[in-house]
Amino acid sequence: MCGIVGYLDKTGKPADALGRTVLGMLNALGCRGPDSAGVALYGNGADGQFVARVALSAKNGFDASASKVLEAASKFAPVSDSSITDCYLRFQIGGQAGIRCLIAAVESVEPGTEVVSLGRYLEIVKQVGSPENLEATYHVSGFEGTHGIGHTRLSTESRIDLSHSQPFWGHGYPDLAIAHNGHITNYHQLRRRYAQRGIRFYTENDSEIIAIYLAGQLSAGHTLEQGFDSMQRDLDGSFSCVVATGSQLGFVKDQFALKPLLYAETADFVAIATEEIALRNALPGDYEVREAQAKESRIWRK
Amino acid sequence: MAEVNCEGRSIREINFAIKSLIREGEKQITVTQPGARHNLGVAILEPAHVTIQGSAGYYCGGLADGSTVEVTGSAGWGLAESMLNGTAIVHGSAGNGAGAAIRGGAVIVHGDAAARAGVSMKGGLVLIGGNCGYMAAFMGQKGSLIVCGDAGDAFADSMYATVCYVGGKIASLGTDAVVEDPNEADIQFLDAALERYFSVEIRKTKPAGKDFRKILAGRKLWNFDKRDRKIWLEAL
Repeated sequence: MCGIVGYLDKTGKPADALGRTVLGMLNALGCRGPDSAGVALYGNGADGQFVARVALSAKNGFDASASKVLEAASKFAPVSDSSITDCYLRFQIGGQAGIRCLIAAVESVEPGTEVVSLGRYLEIVKQVGSPENLEATYHVSGFEGTHGIGHTRLSTESRIDLSHSQPFWGHGYPDLAIAHNGHITNYHQLRRRYAQRGIRFYTENDSEIIAIYLAGQLSAGHTLEQGFDSMQRDLDGSFSCVVATGSQLGFVKDQFALKPLLYAETADFVAIATEEIALRNALPGDYEVREAQAKESRIWRK
Repeated sequence: MAEVNCEGRSIREINFAIKSLIREGEKQITVTQPGARHNLGVAILEPAHVTIQGSAGYYCGGLADGSTVEVTGSAGWGLAESMLNGTAIVHGSAGNGAGAAIRGGAVIVHGDAAARAGVSMKGGLVLIGGNCGYMAAFMGQKGSLIVCGDAGDAFADSMYATVCYVGGKIASLGTDAVVEDPNEADIQFLDAALERYFSVEIRKTKPAGKDFRKILAGRKLWNFDKRDRKIWLEAL
């Protein structure tokens, strides 16, 4: 099943912290998939610096791993504000850092080290377990920001661990994140094609291909709108998908409308979710909710 | 008029409370704070009027026989699915599969319906005030589907004897769907249905019976005939 949500504040002065809203939506969908939960939240930016979130290897202890990662990263640009919560190391690094080399250096310090997200606004937190566990471990409800997406997973085709959880970062493309409900049936074919071009896959989760696909489209200079359009042509199977960049929130639905996804837009916010129950749980007020049609996609800017 | 407040109750308790009130003779029941929960007002077999103040989730008013379930907000997937008789009214929009497999009664959606409205319907009426999505009336066996607005792709695909009417544009027709002009009886039926289920104000915004097009099965898929080989190849 899986449940996905998306939220964008249009006021600039949200009544509640972004994290609390996204988590409130996600909590209502917890019964759609208790295997793992995650959010991709977009903060207010740190003066052009990148924020990196790295899942550390547990092998030699998180503190030892964190020191190695910070040492590796600091060779690319000045590093600041580092902190460790559970298995995650978060730090800021100068925005001039070359991303692909930085990621390669950080991930090679120890096997099992993974840059979960990197961007000027984006922070991804995900873990095995329910949305409630996510709050208990990482206190995401206090996160302030502009927009975000979330995912709660019922695993159907691949392993249950942090890497296989969603949202997925568009690895290598700053600030791009996706959450997907559905099944990409030409995954293996696409994966082979990308792998031949030297693109690394971190998981065996078919949803990862969407993040890689869109990162490729955006890197090639296409807009997100164009990426959504070409998804209808290039991806087979079912996809209801929420996607965010540093400045945008959008969704796209496959041509057969096989998975649910609905949305509401008011003067104050845009909210997208698998079930309306998520919206009613987190967002009081009188507003209309609409199920997206087959092939429908929409994008909003912050 | 009795009230059932959903706050803090399981869906089982809510439906039990609705049915208990009906057993006690209550004819008008208002359900408050529904929070778009699933399975609200399912399997009501008596002619009571249940008004859900707000939005309902999946399968609202499903398996009904003779009840009226009215939703002031929107409804999720499978609205009134497999209803035998009765009425389901949604003032907002409906998710996928609105009125799927109904055998009788009427499903009225004032807003838009998403994909697969009225699929495999075996009787009754599905009336959509706005637009409908992909593959509406797929494999419809009996009954009528009226779309006042536009219809999506693969409309009326592989139908048996369901008759569809569309007031707006049709994005594309499904296999074996044939378009005709409505005859006198169709126009009367359409005008009567619109008059019965829509207020005068709302009716003003809808096409009149004579402005609809009629879509029915071309009957090419009803029996296999070698001469129709081509249509079978396209359909499968």
